[in-house]
Amino acid sequence: MNFIKYKNNLYPLIAILSSLLILVVGLVMAKSIKCTYFLIFVLFWLIMFGCYKQVIKMSLIFIVIGGCFTIICYFSSNKNIISALSMLNRFGAVFIAIVPSISVKPVAMTRNLSQLHTPRSIVLGLLITISYLPVLKMEIKRVSEAMKTRGVGSIFNPKIFYRAFLIPLITRIVDISDTLSLSIETRGFTLGKSNYTIYKKEKIYFLDVIYILGLIISIILVVLL
Amino acid sequence: MKAVQLKQVSFAYNKFDDKVLNNVNFFINYGEITLLSGVSGQGKSTLISIISGIIPNITNGMLTGEVLIDGKSIIGQRLATICKKVGIVTQNPDNQIIHNIVEDEIAFGCENFAIEPSKILDRIENVCAIVELDKTAKTRSLSGGQKQRLITASTLATGQKILILDEPLANLDFKSAKLLMETLELLAKAGYAILVVEHRLDIVLPFANCVWDIKNGSVNKVENKLDYLQSQTKGIDYNCNFKSISNIILRLQNVSYKVKNKQILDEINFDIYNGERILLLGENGCGKTTLLRLIVKLIKPSKGVIERIVNEQNLKKIDRNWFKTIGIVYQNPNYQLFMPTVEKEIEYGAINKEYANYLIDIFGLEHLRKRHPQSLSEGQKRKVSIASVLAGKPKVLLLDEPTVGQDYDSLCDLVNILGDLHNQTGNTMITITHDKRCAEALCDRAILIENGKIKEEGDKQFVRKYFMNLQI
Repeated sequence: MNFIKYKNNLYPLIAILSSLLILVVGLVMAKSIKCTYFLIFVLFWLIMFGCYKQVIKMSLIFIVIGGCFTIICYFSSNKNIISALSMLNRFGAVFIAIVPSISVKPVAMTRNLSQLHTPRSIVLGLLITISYLPVLKMEIKRVSEAMKTRGVGSIFNPKIFYRAFLIPLITRIVDISDTLSLSIETRGFTLGKSNYTIYKKEKIYFLDVIYILGLIISIILVVLL
Repeated sequence: MKAVQLKQVSFAYNKFDDKVLNNVNFFINYGEITLLSGVSGQGKSTLISIISGIIPNITNGMLTGEVLIDGKSIIGQRLATICKKVGIVTQNPDNQIIHNIVEDEIAFGCENFAIEPSKILDRIENVCAIVELDKTAKTRSLSGGQKQRLITASTLATGQKILILDEPLANLDFKSAKLLMETLELLAKAGYAILVVEHRLDIVLPFANCVWDIKNGSVNKVENKLDYLQSQTKGIDYNCNFKSISNIILRLQNVSYKVKNKQILDEINFDIYNGERILLLGENGCGKTTLLRLIVKLIKPSKGVIERIVNEQNLKKIDRNWFKTIGIVYQNPNYQLFMPTVEKEIEYGAINKEYANYLIDIFGLEHLRKRHPQSLSEGQKRKVSIASVLAGKPKVLLLDEPTVGQDYDSLCDLVNILGDLHNQTGNTMITITHDKRCAEALCDRAILIENGKIKEEGDKQFVRKYFMNLQI
């Protein structure tokens, strides 16, 4: 039970490193059928290490986007299987590479970076991105709704898009980022040298090592065989 | 020793600009709740920025006089040093939240102030108990009041002894507002210095130990709290001459709305008659705003039917004409303003130029005619957004918290304007407000919503009773 529970939390830096490895290997070897086997193995490996939710999420997007591009590629290259396969592998590599990264909790990532004494500006950038994305998504929805309520026409008209959508959105974004950066600073976060502690430190466990070793061994096998 | 003291402080954003603050003498004591009240755009935000060290550390300008925080001058002190003593809770707590879980959000400040991890857990548990929050809760799913309390908790956990709350009650219902004020009272008794900048004096004044009034850049101490309370909080009277006629304009039948597994509205049934003024009452998160969004067709009900019989026909197409027939004013005016000047903003969608000019005149926006709407104060923006929607002479007008950010005088003006226009046009008004001062004046009939269901309906008497019960 502990084994499964633990696997939900990959060590953040190992997760990022594995994302990079999957992406690079997937893109470099895209034309080979070995790449497909590698990606299938990675998929199962990730599921074993608790990233099943993210795998399902990404698989759905991959099937739609990757599937469309693969079909287009197949027909546009005179039904060339190799071209279609390489397209499928490239999309597969990109979407599977995203899985370990999104399985890491943002707070774990920022704490891990702080723990490793990463420059504060990088941590700040990450912090703002984390808190900004959900807000931004909501703001876009609200601004487009508000446009409708003022009787504004189609968003595809550039003049309307600029005036009724972009201006309120930018105003809101500036306003929010202003408050957010002030909030971060007034709660003691500084870019300069300052002391800080980490509430919950991220630790590498034995299973993290197994996870990354398994990935590296599979890459070596794919390259050598 | 005073927590904050300003001696002969003046400030201008630019050498050539007028002074925003002029020879201000002001103080905040430890162990007290200090209230700062005044009209929008009079320098409240500037004063907060000075106390919190944002001026002169981030925002530049011409600052003269002496500013002492915890007995030490701010000159030469870094923002990080001042922040160890002063914490701020801004108007919109949504924009201040960084992490997904309450525990991590509270821990954030503690980590930055280099508090021992073992002590951080104790502090989180302590402050969560004070503000009544679950430390494992998700921050984005908290209600407005809970978010406000979360940011207050984050500030408390870091040990900042001076707390500044900028319009903390703006979007809170009476119960949440009272709970927050009671929490602040406890903190003040524990030795914290608390500054509350607020318009809703009826709730804050009974808790405030010291009251300041800001006007034209100068800050004056209010000696007679009771007189000030009475002058700023008495209920607004407006007798409406227009009598509603019998035809139904909106009919809601078994309307329900669900998001994922959360039931927001459940089996809502009521009719609204042409020319009626309806007030929607209820706590935060009970489904009032969702109901307005359903009526205006921004969202569709999960179950049930809303019949909209406007112009003797049931309009179906959601286009420009639809929103001219049913106008909605948002809680946050920033979303609905996009033209380059106030004049053009109100003319956009107006039935004609004369009517737009008439509205500019009655809303007292003449001097702001050529200003960019986004450059106005929050209170002024709200007036412009209401005038812009009214300019299309909508048959049904939906107002979501139209009085937020208005001082007492502006509030009286706004209620009178809305009443006069209702008398002239015979429009149907549906209003959401938590402001008891104007609630009665804005309605003929009130509907109380609780947990997504209609609990009770009544007239002005019912509204008065509702607010009285809340106070008890």
